[in-house]
Amino acid sequence: MIKQNEKKVGAVLVQGAGIAGVQAALDLANSGLKVYLLEQSPVIGGMMARLDKTFPTGDCATCMVSPKLVECARNLNVEILTLSELTDVTGEPGNFKATVRRKPRYVDEAKCTGCGVCTQVCPVKYQIYQEPEVKPVIELAPDDRQKTDCILEQYRDTQGALMPVLKGINNQFGYLPEDVLRYVSVKMNVPVSLIYRIATFYNAFSLTPRGRHTISVCAGTTCYVRGADKLLDRLKGRLKVDIGQTTVDRRFTLETVRCLGCCSLAPVISVDGEIYGNLRGNDVLGVLEAYE
Amino acid sequence: MNNMKKIRSGQDLDAVQRAGLEKLYPDRVKISVGMASCGLAAGARKVFDTLSQGIKQRQSNIVLAATGCLGFCRMEPLVTVHRPGKPKQVYANISPDKAEALLDAVLNEQDKEDWILCHLDREELIVSGTHHTHTCNGHGQAALSKPYQEVPFFKKQQKIVLRNCGFIDADDIDEYIGRSGYSALMKVISSMKPEYVIDQVKSSGLRGRGGGGFPTGVKWELCRKAEGDYKYVVCNADEGDPGAYMDRSVLEGDPHTVLEGMGIGAYAIGAREGIIYIRTEYPLAIEKLKRAIEQARAYGLLGENILNSGFSFDIRIVEGAGAFVCGEETSLIASIEGRPAEPVTRPPFPVQSGLWEKPTNINNVETWANVPVILARGADWYAGIGTDKSKGTKVFSLVGAITNSGLVEVPMGITLNEIIHEIGEGIPRQKKLKAIQTGGPSGGCVPASLVDMPVDYERLAEIGSIMGSGGMVVMDEDNCMVDIARYFTSFTREESCGKCTSCRDGLDVALHLLTRMTEGQADTEDMDLLDELSQTIKDASQCGLGKTAPNPILSTMKYFHEEYVSHVKDKKCTAGVCKPLFAYEIDPDACKACGKCKPDCPVAAITGEKKVPHAIIAEKCTKCGACYDICPFDAVTKV
Repeated sequence: MIKQNEKKVGAVLVQGAGIAGVQAALDLANSGLKVYLLEQSPVIGGMMARLDKTFPTGDCATCMVSPKLVECARNLNVEILTLSELTDVTGEPGNFKATVRRKPRYVDEAKCTGCGVCTQVCPVKYQIYQEPEVKPVIELAPDDRQKTDCILEQYRDTQGALMPVLKGINNQFGYLPEDVLRYVSVKMNVPVSLIYRIATFYNAFSLTPRGRHTISVCAGTTCYVRGADKLLDRLKGRLKVDIGQTTVDRRFTLETVRCLGCCSLAPVISVDGEIYGNLRGNDVLGVLEAYE
Repeated sequence: MNNMKKIRSGQDLDAVQRAGLEKLYPDRVKISVGMASCGLAAGARKVFDTLSQGIKQRQSNIVLAATGCLGFCRMEPLVTVHRPGKPKQVYANISPDKAEALLDAVLNEQDKEDWILCHLDREELIVSGTHHTHTCNGHGQAALSKPYQEVPFFKKQQKIVLRNCGFIDADDIDEYIGRSGYSALMKVISSMKPEYVIDQVKSSGLRGRGGGGFPTGVKWELCRKAEGDYKYVVCNADEGDPGAYMDRSVLEGDPHTVLEGMGIGAYAIGAREGIIYIRTEYPLAIEKLKRAIEQARAYGLLGENILNSGFSFDIRIVEGAGAFVCGEETSLIASIEGRPAEPVTRPPFPVQSGLWEKPTNINNVETWANVPVILARGADWYAGIGTDKSKGTKVFSLVGAITNSGLVEVPMGITLNEIIHEIGEGIPRQKKLKAIQTGGPSGGCVPASLVDMPVDYERLAEIGSIMGSGGMVVMDEDNCMVDIARYFTSFTREESCGKCTSCRDGLDVALHLLTRMTEGQADTEDMDLLDELSQTIKDASQCGLGKTAPNPILSTMKYFHEEYVSHVKDKKCTAGVCKPLFAYEIDPDACKACGKCKPDCPVAAITGEKKVPHAIIAEKCTKCGACYDICPFDAVTKV
């Protein structure tokens, strides 16, 4: 390490002008070293310049990165080499020799004002090269795979098929198993994150296995004013579960539903889609006995 | 289904209509059972099975049919008996046992007088503007029962949207055509220019029945004029408001009216494809719709080259997945496209750039159901019903603390008083009317003092509520308004998609404040904060959900201010709903020491023996209300 008060000698080459490279270049330049900032793409700033906000503080990315970029360009100790690649390094610590291949820019950087007119008229569009995505191979049990393929096939030509596919899976398996979702993600070419968002957004999907029977207590206005909450308390007490949970023996899943539209029979519950109305007192516990 | 011949001309349609009329009014005895969801919940399936077996056993030629819902939900299961040449009889509250007896009576040419709700001498056929008379030469039976028109529940109703519900078998397109179904579509396609159709809808004054009240004709015109080679019409059947179920009833009882309305709309707008977005909680409605679409296709009323006119249009169903916000148009579109249902900024409006960025016209079920009648009878006829700015009828689901609960369709401008005290026949158990909640979680509470107010879009908006989709929950003195506000806020908080901070976090804080109030921990500053917060949520949210979510809070704070004050200052809930703010007591004078309440108490908080008046140990009591519910002498009181 070179100590702060010693006389600085030589120069440093920083490879890559993303936020890390830019910061490194600035720190080095400010400590008195000559810096060559090497960047493969036509511009410096890297990924951060494309971001809106940064995690976890939610601060504005551009606001943080752009002063650094300007400073890089202004700092006399920093020499920016864009469109450049490092082809060879020889020598030893303290005395390296780097060979850089620089691609032509065809634009006089001193004169360019950055108006962008040339990009609009250029018949060849610049395309970003992306690494081919490595798709994970998902192994499903043959039975599950067949069931899933069958659902996927059904909606192959439908626009906006994700929802009905998830619905089909939810009906078929009783919930949305993670490996099936990963399989669907690969097959339909949608990110797992989007599937997860949808699965958690809508009430009809469940990410955990469910009971053999689903009890839905109507939480509509009429049922509420006619005592659905008492009904719910009774069910919670009897089944020893909270809303959205499944009993230990997997017999029942308890949930609430917005409105079953049977307001004149309030309060109502539905068990596996069968509706029971006008439930008073302990009636509701009697209803459950029919379901094993 | 294979033998269904495509309908190509007016003559074809007339032939099907004649066949339909024969099915509707056969020359044999016909018994129909109301088999919509509410009927089924009341046990209509068992009644139907009993009748079906009974008919088989007795080797009778009686025709047994399943129909939709007549709307009088309190009286379900409803069974209709129709003997040729005699008035149609409607029997109420028929259990399987009663059904057996009723069948015997029918076979012996007798009536079950005690069970008759009413009879119909004739049926109004709204679409053609005529009647079907059941009696020949005025022979009816004399005063055995009230005529349909004089039953208080039906008297003030005017059924346009619900015209077929309870009268036809939704699974049989012939019966729909029998009552002049698809004649409006035929008329429109064969003799009207799209611009003229839009003109008719505009001058009829029809406004969106989903809640917004935007003029339907104007929307259609915007969509027609929008640039685009491919356009969509969408039916919003995501009836999410708790306490409103008219759309479900229409879809279960008369799905073809929606298909016909959409067909007319598609012709006027120039759309090629229709989508019905329906909530998944309505499995029966989905089943009926699917069958209706199949039948309409088989008759060539949907598909390529409809009625030999060159106009092609088809409909498919998309099921929702249980998210209240999907009722909002832009989130509905997002949901159809398979995205999380988050609203986006308008403009562009869906009529300009909607589904898959194509012009999309979205109307609600009830709006579509109005369309065929408007085109069949003409805009002037329709515009003659209702008030100055709100035309036509509106279906309300009249529920809660009301004697006659059910679906009622009334002309706009009728007063709340007429709906509640005449159609609904008042509040049961001699309780007093306290408020009427309209418009679901986006609406507000109308206090009893404003009961003489006429119901239309403008008047409801003026007093801080909305028409909404037509839920009308009647509340009596046993309902606590602070608790109601808390209930709706907890609903909207759950259902907020979370995009706008004001809605997501604002409702969370509002719910927290309201919960503190119902638990007796709030102070007066909380009330001011709640008021200010509600205003902010209203102003700063993007979509309809957030903009209207504070309505229940604001309207209850406005009209039931003293109730908030008693919760906050006196720590008392006069209605006896908020558990920490009241206690149960047994009135020793009223208590007959029968002992009924003792075994029901889950925490053994009731003392007393036989013949010794009971008392409640306040420290032990969890206020579950079991004793209050069971006491036959009303000796348990809330203080």
